[in-house]
Amino acid sequence: MTSVVSSSPLPATRARGHSRRRRRASTGWRGLAYIAPAMLLVLVFFVLPVLLTVWMSLHNWPLMGAQKWIGLKNYTRLLSDARFLQALNFTAFYTLVVTIAIFAVAFPLALFVEKQRRFVGFYRTVIFLPVVVGLATASLLWAWLANVDSGFFSPLLRLLGLVDRSPNLLARFDTAFLTIIVMVVWKIAGFTMILLLTGLQAIPAELDEAARIDGARRFQRFRHLTLPLMRRTIALALIVSITGSILAFDQFYIMTSGGPQNRMISVVYYIFNQSFVSFNLGYGAALSIVLLAILVVISIAQLKLLKIGEERP
Amino acid sequence: MTITDTFAQHPVLSADRPAQMAAAKALRAARARKGAIAYHTAGAAIVLFFAAPFVIAGLSSFRNGTEAQTAPLPPWPTAGFSVDSYRTLDSFGAGIWQHTVNSALVSLATVLLTVLVSLLAGYGFSRYRFPFKNALFVLIIATLMIPFQSILTPLFIILAKLGLNNSLFGLTLVYVTLQLPFSVFMMRNAFDAVPKEIEEAARIDGARDLRLLARVLLPLVLPGVATVAIFAFLNAWNEFLAALVLLSSNEHYTLPVLMMAVRAGRLGAINWGAVQAGVVVMTIPCLFVFLLLQRYYMRGLMAGAVK
Amino acid sequence: MTVIKTLLAATSLAALMLAQPASADTINMWVRTGIGDSFKEVVKAYNAGHDDKVQLTEVPYTELVQKYATAIAGGQAPDALSMDLIYTPAFAAAGQLEDLTDWAKSLPYFNSLSPSHVRLGTYQDRLYGLPLSVETSVFAWNKNLYRKAGLDPEKAPATWEEITANAQKIRALGDDTYGFYFSGGGCGGCMIFTFTPLVWGAGADILSADGKTATLDTPEMRKAVDIYRTMIKKDLVPAIAASDNGANFLSFTNGRIGQQSLGAFAIGTLVTQHPEIDFGVTLIPGVNGKPSSFAGGDNLVVTKGTPRIEEVKTFIQYIYSMDGQKIMAKYGSLPTRGDIADEVLKGLDPRMAVGLKAISVAKTPYTLQFNDLINSNNGPWAAFITAALFGDDVDGAFKTAQEDMQSIIDSGQ
Repeated sequence: MTSVVSSSPLPATRARGHSRRRRRASTGWRGLAYIAPAMLLVLVFFVLPVLLTVWMSLHNWPLMGAQKWIGLKNYTRLLSDARFLQALNFTAFYTLVVTIAIFAVAFPLALFVEKQRRFVGFYRTVIFLPVVVGLATASLLWAWLANVDSGFFSPLLRLLGLVDRSPNLLARFDTAFLTIIVMVVWKIAGFTMILLLTGLQAIPAELDEAARIDGARRFQRFRHLTLPLMRRTIALALIVSITGSILAFDQFYIMTSGGPQNRMISVVYYIFNQSFVSFNLGYGAALSIVLLAILVVISIAQLKLLKIGEERP
Repeated sequence: MTITDTFAQHPVLSADRPAQMAAAKALRAARARKGAIAYHTAGAAIVLFFAAPFVIAGLSSFRNGTEAQTAPLPPWPTAGFSVDSYRTLDSFGAGIWQHTVNSALVSLATVLLTVLVSLLAGYGFSRYRFPFKNALFVLIIATLMIPFQSILTPLFIILAKLGLNNSLFGLTLVYVTLQLPFSVFMMRNAFDAVPKEIEEAARIDGARDLRLLARVLLPLVLPGVATVAIFAFLNAWNEFLAALVLLSSNEHYTLPVLMMAVRAGRLGAINWGAVQAGVVVMTIPCLFVFLLLQRYYMRGLMAGAVK
Repeated sequence: MTVIKTLLAATSLAALMLAQPASADTINMWVRTGIGDSFKEVVKAYNAGHDDKVQLTEVPYTELVQKYATAIAGGQAPDALSMDLIYTPAFAAAGQLEDLTDWAKSLPYFNSLSPSHVRLGTYQDRLYGLPLSVETSVFAWNKNLYRKAGLDPEKAPATWEEITANAQKIRALGDDTYGFYFSGGGCGGCMIFTFTPLVWGAGADILSADGKTATLDTPEMRKAVDIYRTMIKKDLVPAIAASDNGANFLSFTNGRIGQQSLGAFAIGTLVTQHPEIDFGVTLIPGVNGKPSSFAGGDNLVVTKGTPRIEEVKTFIQYIYSMDGQKIMAKYGSLPTRGDIADEVLKGLDPRMAVGLKAISVAKTPYTLQFNDLINSNNGPWAAFITAALFGDDVDGAFKTAQEDMQSIIDSGQ
């Protein structure tokens, strides 16, 4: 998506001759009129709240009671806030693991459903099904499935005789984290798969054929032909996955309440807690601004990555 | 070296050509069959993984009240088909029907407004030139980058000042805004893909602006509209945090908020039957809309990915 | 920045003009989900007999405080709210609640209102919250399971040694029968309610009297932790306890839990919803055998500046009337008025009286930071419980929690 942001505006008006110049002033207004409703919404429900957030971040702003201007103190505070650093740490760890996991599943799936064969449409549809339910609903569904008594996994393990007692998957960090990763892969892999599939199908079949005639083995072809040609698609899928993971909240909130022992507090979760549990709205706002800055930096880095992809054929 | 190659190099076997070809064919068919079996076995496993949670929840939700509290092994009702779970779900909040209607209203209004606003904006961005065009476009896209959880309080305050607090309409406006980056991007692409000549021809025929847009261009960008509409529906239907914070009375709550109440438990116990029923109620419309319009949805996604 | 100020000024002006002139005879009131039938029934009875109506909105209990605070910030708060009493100081301190001092003191029965509630409802000598429901923590045992395990079903356990021994016998009954239960998966609220009485009874506390020092690491707390750890190690507690954030707090109702500390409220729930469970109730023993309890429940608070203050007062008086109290008691809530308590409970389940008795030995922590310190699922107390009871490093759990609590207290000064 972001690639278009940087692409030049469409030369929509170049085609028409000099009559265009006379009309330019009026069409300028007309164009603005067309985008006015969208801009109004963005201004009122996005720009204004963000500005308000910046403004709040410079205050000691309890949810109730008087606000007090404290300049940059919220920002200096977060530098030494161990819990915030921990949240950053965890979010980075989660992003890394979940992104690898999603790609490790989505790439084989994309290859699996690439060729037209019997039932392939059915497979694609089923794999994509979890994408259309909400993350909150999915989290709730899996919170149930992972429940130790009334759920599915633990009792199944016990029924199969693999364990003596049903293990409480959500009580220990390792198993709880694994459960969440599996849930997110289940929910997101179909989406990434479709993105990758688009890239795969954009590779001319002749190229692959030629490589095969030249004697390249399947893995070699994948490594030296498919991967380089899919660079842009992969970059796009990466951006989507990384941005989404950095903003992760629902799954931790609903499935583990941030536990066990507060070890699953993501950055957004921490912001949520600061703002809506501890009511330090000013501090929460400062955290939001920092998170925004981090996202902007990462996005710019990824944009660069995308451009490198564009330069190569 | 494959099996067919071996045959070709074998002097004895190559003596009788037709027979050899037939054997090769049979072998190739056998290999293909083997491949197909392996392929579809893998396919079945994949289907199992991705569909099982839905199937388990769907079947389990029809177990009776006491059975619903036990592990779903087997997931289907063994003590008779029952809608106990749905009845329990209905006893939360203002009743399942009311909340479903709320959710449907918000989702449909979000779809309509999103389509309308992004249609106009996409057209504007695609066909007109105006000052700060790129900057404004980037601004709309930038909405994606803010964790909207972090601007909820300002949003709440602004809605309150506008007198739109605790109203489904206010919530709808927020949802529409959240949809805009994707939708405007999508519609701009859709309009860009329409050849200028068509528009020129229509202009010569006297169609202008809105009429041109509605009569001539709309049918051409309909797949894009469908994609935008589906995404808007799914996201509005599924969103829970904004609904939770921005709405404040029982009769306005949407389904996801009801689900949070179910998750929180009642009288110190979670009713897992109600959770299953709730998941089903939340999921069915999404699956329905998706399966009905999946051609557009996939195409829209792919179009977005290719650009 | 002036732009924003202007904008804000302009919008708030608009908001003033839009301020809703809602009909004067409907009181909007928020309650938490799961408040139980008692309050709903009182409202029903009130609405049936009065011109003024009370409209209840149930808010998921985990989000109630957040939502209320946000609603205040947005100027959309309800007229009144049933609020966990421990939050009253924080809200009162923020100047968001109506001062009820003079009116409340004029009530003839003011002095017999639940003292914990009134103390928590008081901030700097002014009264902002009045008792709506009284909730004490008590210890319950399942008589059916006691019988099956060969224990005397009528003999209430008086020490934790006894409780542990009984739990072992009950656990021996079968695969899914357990001796004891608690919500230990980050439910700070549940554990302050059911677990701290163990140390309170023995005279220790987790905060100093002035609330300015965390005193978590005491021999009494070590002993209490040890008792729970032993039961977990002996497999007397269901595995779900380790991740139960409070949603399954009343697991006792499933009939397969032998013993559990729960709220007096649950007595009503058990009696009305689970008549099949035969249970006994006693006070929670401390680690040295001396009983204690947590006096909790809800205070009714009034949002500052509500135009319907008089209507709310009438409603409160109805709640405190004999009729109101009787309806609430009938559906499981303890009487908030000490002077008529016996009369109210007359003819009701005798076990309710244990809940009432608990009030005399009960404590309630008074701190403005209750949420951050104790109640939050992600606070130090909740983390301490999970780490100390289920983790491998008890000393580390004590050390971390003690430090975290102290740092939160200090940052709030």
